[in-house]
Amino acid sequence: MIDFIHVVKTYPNGTVALNDITLHIDDGEFVFVVGASGAGKTTLMKLILREEKVTSGKIIVDDIDITKLSYFRVPHYRRNLGVVFQDFRLFPKKTVYENVAFAMQVVGTPQKLIKRRVPALLKTVNLSEKSKCFPNELSGGEQQRVALARALANNPSIIIADEPTGNIDPKMSLEIMNLLIKINKLGKTVIVVTHEKSLVDYYQQRVISLDHGTIVDDRVGGMYE
Amino acid sequence: MRRYRISYFIGQALQGIWRNGVMSFASIAVLMSCLVVLGAFTLLIVNINTNLENLDEVNKIIVFLDYDLTEEQIVDIERQIKKIDEAKTIKRITADEALRKLAQRAGENASLYDDYYKDNPLSDSFEITYDDAKDLTTIEFELQGIEGVRKYRDQRYIVNLISDIKNGVLFVFLWFLAILFIVSVFIIINTIKLSVYSRKSEISIMRYVGATGWFISLPFILEGAIIGLFASIIAYFVEEYLYKSFVGSLGISIEIITLIPFSELAGGILAVFIIIGVTTGIMGSSISLSKYTKK
Repeated sequence: MIDFIHVVKTYPNGTVALNDITLHIDDGEFVFVVGASGAGKTTLMKLILREEKVTSGKIIVDDIDITKLSYFRVPHYRRNLGVVFQDFRLFPKKTVYENVAFAMQVVGTPQKLIKRRVPALLKTVNLSEKSKCFPNELSGGEQQRVALARALANNPSIIIADEPTGNIDPKMSLEIMNLLIKINKLGKTVIVVTHEKSLVDYYQQRVISLDHGTIVDDRVGGMYE
Repeated sequence: MRRYRISYFIGQALQGIWRNGVMSFASIAVLMSCLVVLGAFTLLIVNINTNLENLDEVNKIIVFLDYDLTEEQIVDIERQIKKIDEAKTIKRITADEALRKLAQRAGENASLYDDYYKDNPLSDSFEITYDDAKDLTTIEFELQGIEGVRKYRDQRYIVNLISDIKNGVLFVFLWFLAILFIVSVFIIINTIKLSVYSRKSEISIMRYVGATGWFISLPFILEGAIIGLFASIIAYFVEEYLYKSFVGSLGISIEIITLIPFSELAGGILAVFIIIGVTTGIMGSSISLSKYTKK
């Protein structure tokens, strides 16, 4: 569950990125966050990730007021979030397996568990055959699937995807979106930040539209307007 | 139970050093120079202190007599000195003996003194030893009343002179060292910054998947520590070589000075070098990390 309560975010240069945002996202929901460049989508994502701090207001994630979270608690909080980026952000010198395993290694998961879990994750994203490949041997869609597997590695309850289809062709985009829907059906909350109208319209999920830092539309089964 | 492999952190640290080879080399070189200077200074001070202690231990006063005294007069002076209770031993040094000693110290140039044996410009003297430094004032007071005593010189004069020189050197060296250490820390800060920068994307991924601050920082801290360790070990060997060369080059020309063998100080020097080197490295890393890893 994610709650934004009268959230305002103003950057040091005076730009008001989010202005009095109040919204509620339930556990297991699938949400598109849409809007033009500068609408505040990325800031919203950064606030959930606690990469930025609010200027005023409150953000509650799974009953934790993350605006009051200490610096030392942030890493532990982030273990409950899985993030996927437009540019994949994979390690070029690590194999598919190692890229996924890395996310588990950095949080100190025992090797035994990693060996058991990574193949299962790769199976979920249909990449079992490519576990020994390096990212440069994969297509854009496949790289994004590796990123998805990595996002799922620590079994987070929330998946945040920032323009996950921005760097891949339409066919692959559908594949990635279908995977995100599949992940959502496994009980995870999925938030997709995008400006791809066709995808938003096609999937008919909840759509939160931002414009100049304010929510201009929020409806289930909405369209990109 | 969280399990982390130390080999992972050391591997990452060594990779960082290798990736930024030039800066790592510069850091090691500057820190090493700094440690060598520190070592040289320490050796100098330790040697000065030891020699000062030796001088103190001697508790000796040299009494120079007038030039034109007869043997009877000299014997009479000796008798008067022997009456001083505080004087422990009295040894007469004739003018010829004094000249021979001077010539001996000149080593290869001893022949330069040959002409003076015919017409010795030195006078007879007495070497008086005493037990306690407090006795010196009494002895000096008594000497002032003895006719035929031209002057006397106690070792305090030398001790004070060397102490003054030591303090002067200490002051200059401390400033010099402070500046060198600041430069070392800055170079290490930049080396680690480069290392952090080259792994920026890796760090951002680590942050997103929930790696703790120390997990992200440890490889960089180790990188600084390893730079410090390398610098200290190299500095130790350079110091040893320089010190031995220095002692060798002095030869017998300073036989009045006791130089402590390097082997006696080796353990301490290595330990101090490692402690200072590694601490400086860790300090440099920590300063450069504070900006990059806190988000």
